[in-house]
Amino acid sequence: MLRSIALKSLRDVGKGFVWWSIGLAGFVALIVSVYPTVHSNPALKRLSEDYPKALQAFIAFGGQVDYSSAAGYLGIELFSLMVPLLFLVAAIATGAGTIAGEEERGTLETLLANPVSRTRVVLEKSLALALEIVGLGLVLWLALWVGALAVGMDISVGHLAAATLAAVLLAIAYGEIAVLVGAASGRRSLTIGVTAAIAVAAYLVNGLAPLVDALEGPQKLSPFYHYAAGDPLRRGVSLSHLAVLVGIAIVATTLAPLVFARRDVST
Amino acid sequence: MADVIRAEQLTKTYGQNRGIVEVDFSVQAGEVFGFLGPNGAGKTTTIRLVLDLIRPTSGRLSVFGLDARRDSVAIRRRLGYLPGDLRLYERMTGRDLLEFFGHLRGSRGRGDALAERLDLDLDRRIKELSRGNRQKIGLVQAFMHDPDLFVLDEPTSGLDPLVQETFYELVAEATRRGGTVFLSSHVLSEVQHIADRVGLIREGRLDLVDTVDNLRARSFTHVEATFAEPPPPDGFAGIPGVAELERRGDVVRFSLEGEIDPLLKALARFHVRALDVHEADLEDIFMALYRGAGPDAS
Repeated sequence: MLRSIALKSLRDVGKGFVWWSIGLAGFVALIVSVYPTVHSNPALKRLSEDYPKALQAFIAFGGQVDYSSAAGYLGIELFSLMVPLLFLVAAIATGAGTIAGEEERGTLETLLANPVSRTRVVLEKSLALALEIVGLGLVLWLALWVGALAVGMDISVGHLAAATLAAVLLAIAYGEIAVLVGAASGRRSLTIGVTAAIAVAAYLVNGLAPLVDALEGPQKLSPFYHYAAGDPLRRGVSLSHLAVLVGIAIVATTLAPLVFARRDVST
Repeated sequence: MADVIRAEQLTKTYGQNRGIVEVDFSVQAGEVFGFLGPNGAGKTTTIRLVLDLIRPTSGRLSVFGLDARRDSVAIRRRLGYLPGDLRLYERMTGRDLLEFFGHLRGSRGRGDALAERLDLDLDRRIKELSRGNRQKIGLVQAFMHDPDLFVLDEPTSGLDPLVQETFYELVAEATRRGGTVFLSSHVLSEVQHIADRVGLIREGRLDLVDTVDNLRARSFTHVEATFAEPPPPDGFAGIPGVAELERRGDVVRFSLEGEIDPLLKALARFHVRALDVHEADLEDIFMALYRGAGPDAS
């Protein structure tokens, strides 16, 4: 695990990753185990029908608020908020640690005494971040799969994978934005703050767009829109929406080495 | 002889820090060049420019004849660096760190042998190590690949005297193999001990570059007189060859070139309790230089 900067960075997240996975799987298990009760509750079915359309974007994931189907339930309980939240926290923490964290701890100076370019440092660490989130995605997918089988949810493994993939790509996009902000600023808490603020703003723009006409255009710029708009739990992978998320990650990862290479490494 | 490091009008200014101003110097192949100055004088700034951690505001800097910025990776392949404020991956063991850096360099080289020589336990986590032991890891990672150029910022800080001796041996071995050493220190005796040439940096400016031998040849006699009561401030003005270096209460230190007789006659006018006369060492020489250069010298 010490053969490259990317592997060493993965090794660094190792213990945290295990706990994060246990928490994630436990949370999924809890949500899934409640499904049979919710599924057969007529009150919740009525709630689904009466729910104000304008608020659906906040509550549902992609389609409509719908407690009666497995896709609707998982969307409301997991994918509309908790999954992206957990994934973004992990991705932004790792992304901010990439350059800014090492720079603040002073280890970047020792690392850069080796014959490795700054570009390589940023790219290898960006790759490690992506792999970490893909790993979390695999854990989530497996937990959902096992859970769906256990309680007999009527949902395909492929659609679970599609939703997970959207969450993974959303988190990688924000993780790489954090890498970029950290590469520019060199300050970890600032990086976390700025990236989290960008994420919250984008989340609100997407959620409020059905209520506010002026946000209809900006909504298309929100990564959260592209995360959910394909309705992956019901319709599977939407390449055009995922491509936007991948594009954001690529742009951020391309810019990060450029801004980092231009500035002084602080002591 | 080829210049391993060459700085021309090198200037770095940033924020509130002074940085360095129009610094010119060169370090030649096979020599030990000591960068000497008080803390904050610009030693670390210069060193970090060599490593391409920071970029010059103006001026030129080349290492091995290559551009310090454009060819930094090629330069660092042949360079071993010990940072002044050494920070290592706390959760790793020394062995992990050397393995990691070994992979980045393509080979671990002599890492294990050096660790053994410095009596360093590589199996403990770095966060559990004392400052001296961390510094040893810093030395090992700087020396293990037998670089052509060693850039060492305050290399002996935190090392106990025995380990310092080992460090001096390592430097001597490195230069015997043709290696070049560029080190900084605020400890004069250290530089005097291992350097061939010395650059004196103060407030961002390189005041003087000379060989240690030449500096010794500038030598003068150092006289320290202890009086029964503090003598008047102008009591020793205008005595040929005599300069007052320092006054602390009733103790006055002089530098002296030539005969001692005029000073003795002047001293005899006061009640002298003790008199110490000795050949000046580099410390005294620099003290005299500090005094002479700049109006705000303290």
